[in-house]
Amino acid sequence: MAEDERNLNDRQSGATKLAGVNLRLAYGPHSVVEGLDIALPARRFTALIGPNGSGKSTILRSLAGLMRPAGGTVLLDGRGIATLSTRALARQIGVLLQGPVAPEGLTVGDLVAQGRYPHRGLLSGWSAQDQAACDEALRLTGTGHLADRALDSLSGGQRQRAWIAMTLAQRSEVILLDEPTTYLDLEHQIELMNLIRTLVRDHGKTVVAVLHDINQAARYADHIVLLKAGRRVASGPPAQVISARAIEEVFQVRSMIIEDPVAGTPLCIPLAHESERDRRPSQRET
Amino acid sequence: MTQPSARQAARKAGTLFRKKPRPRPGSGAADRLRFSILCLTLALLLAALFAASLALGDVPVSWRALAAMLGGGSDVSPDARMIVVDLRLPRVLLGALVGMALAIAGTISIAIMRNPLAEPGVLGINGGAAVGAMVVIVVLRDPPVFLLQASGFFGALALAAAVYLLSWRGGTASLRIVLIGVGLSALTGAVTSLLAATGDLAAVQRAMIWLAGSVYDASLLKVERLLSWLILPAALTLALARELDLIAFGDGTAKSLGQPVERVRALMILLCTVISGAAVAVSGLIGFVGLLAPHIARRLAGPVHLRILPVAALVGACLVTAADLLGRLVIAPAQVPAGIVTGLLGAPFFIYLLWGRRHGRG
Repeated sequence: MAEDERNLNDRQSGATKLAGVNLRLAYGPHSVVEGLDIALPARRFTALIGPNGSGKSTILRSLAGLMRPAGGTVLLDGRGIATLSTRALARQIGVLLQGPVAPEGLTVGDLVAQGRYPHRGLLSGWSAQDQAACDEALRLTGTGHLADRALDSLSGGQRQRAWIAMTLAQRSEVILLDEPTTYLDLEHQIELMNLIRTLVRDHGKTVVAVLHDINQAARYADHIVLLKAGRRVASGPPAQVISARAIEEVFQVRSMIIEDPVAGTPLCIPLAHESERDRRPSQRET
Repeated sequence: MTQPSARQAARKAGTLFRKKPRPRPGSGAADRLRFSILCLTLALLLAALFAASLALGDVPVSWRALAAMLGGGSDVSPDARMIVVDLRLPRVLLGALVGMALAIAGTISIAIMRNPLAEPGVLGINGGAAVGAMVVIVVLRDPPVFLLQASGFFGALALAAAVYLLSWRGGTASLRIVLIGVGLSALTGAVTSLLAATGDLAAVQRAMIWLAGSVYDASLLKVERLLSWLILPAALTLALARELDLIAFGDGTAKSLGQPVERVRALMILLCTVISGAAVAVSGLIGFVGLLAPHIARRLAGPVHLRILPVAALVGACLVTAADLLGRLVIAPAQVPAGIVTGLLGAPFFIYLLWGRRHGRG
C-alpha cells in the first residue's frame, strides 16, 4: 500500500530521481560541460539527445558517479552521490557504457552474474536472490539460451543484450544506458525499447539512455533532454521538445515535424540540406 | 555463407527457450566434477614429479628404497636417506613452492593489467631484485645468503613501488603501469649490466648464477620460511578471487558495478609484489612460469579466478619441479639452473600457446 501511495505521489509530482546541479565536467583543463542543470524524472524513460560531441556520454558518466564533476553535484533522491560508497551507489544506479570489454572466454552466464557484485559481501556465497535476479535478467533480454555460450562467440546484437542483462541483474532503481541500440538490428532495437518501457512501467525503474535516433526517442521516451555543446537546449515530454526550431538549433538540420501515424508522437523528417540541393545538379552533370 | 540461417535458427531457439531456467554456470554438478578431476590430475602429476625428483639424479635411489623411506622403514642406507631427505626433498619442496608463488603472482598481474603478457616482471619485480642482489654481491663479494635474499626482496619491493607511484596521475591506469614498468625494467637491466661489467669476475659469476634462477641451495628452513611468508597473501588472494574477475573487465565496468577499483588494484599489486618478490629472492629469476602457468590454468579451468588460482598454483609447481629435475639430469653431473630450463622450454611453448590462439579471436 505504501508502495502504491509513493507510486502515486511520484506520478503526480513528477519527482526527480537523479539530478545534476550546476555541473561542470572536464577532462583535464578541457571543459566539456559547464553550468548544466539536469533533472531526470523518477519512474520514467528519459532519452538524452544531441549531436556528436554534445557531452551526452560525459554527462551520463557523471550521473553514474564514474566521473567526478569539476564543479556542481549529482543528486540521487536529493542526496549527493559523492557521499555514497562505490558499492552502495552501484546498488542504486546501474550503468552500461559504450563498447564494454569482457575477459576472453567468459560465458554470458558469468557476465550476468557479475551484475550481482554490489549485492554480495566479501565472502558471501551465491544466494537464491542472486540466482533469481540473473534468471530474470536473462529472461527479460531473451538471452537465457545463450547463458553457457562464450561471449566472444556471439553476434554484436547478442553480446549487447548480454551486457544489458548484466546491468539488469544489478537490480538498481536507476539504469543508465549509453547508446544501447548500437549494434542492434531493427528487431532488437524495438525489442529493447519495449523492454525499457516494461522496466519503467511494470518494475518502477528510472531509465536514462543516450539515443541517436530522434524518432525512436520521441516514440518511446517519456522525457527528452536535448543537448548541444554541453548545454541543455530543451527538456520535457517529446511533444514539447521536438520542434523544427529545436532540431535545427541542435543539429543544424532543417526538418518538418509531423505526427507519427502509428504512435501519435512527433516524427522528425529532415528536409534536404542546402549543400545537398547544390550538389545534386552538378552530380548529374558529371 | 550459412550465417543468416544460423542466426535465424538461434533467434527461434531464443524465443522457444526463453523461459527455461538455468543454474548459475560453473555451479553445476558436472562442472564441479570436471574441476575436481582437473585438480586431482594435476596433484597426481605433481606427486609423480616429486617421486621422480627424489629418486633420480647423480646417485639414483631405487623406487623400493624410496617407498620404504617415505613409509618410515628403517632398512635404508644412511647415505641414501641423507641424499633424499636432506638434499633432494627440500629442493623439491622449495621448487614447488616457488612455482606456486610465481604462478599466483602471474595470475594476479595478468588480471589487473588486463594484458596477457603482463607477468609480474612488468611491475619491476625482477629488475628490482636483480639490481638489489647484484649490488650486494658486487660490494660484499661473498654475502651471506640471507642478505642476498633480503636485498633481492627489497629491491623488488622498491621498484614495484616506484612503478606504481610514477604511474599515479590522480589514479592509475593499467597501460601506464605496464609502460612505466617496461621502462624502469630496461633501466634496471642497464644498471645490472653496468655492475656486472665493473665487478669482480668471480662475484659477478655468482650473481649471474643466482639471477639465472635456481633452487639448488635449498634447505628445510628455507622451505618453512617461504611457506610461512606466502600463506597469508596467497589465502588473501584466493579470498579476493572475485575482485580479480571483476577488475579484469576494465575500470569503467568494474566501477559501475561498485568495485573500488583503485583500492583493489593497489592491494593486488602489493600482494603480487610480496608473493613474487619472495619467490624471486629465494630462487632468483625463474622466467616464464609467471606467464605460462596462468595461461595454461586459464585454458584448463576457464575464466573464473577462484578456479584459475589453484590450478595455476599446481601447474606452476609442476613446471618448476619438472624444470629443476630436467636441469639436474640432462648434463649430469653438471646442473642447469631451473630458470634456464624454463626459459629454453617455456619460450617455444609460449609461442605455441599464442599460435593456437591466433584463430581464436578476430
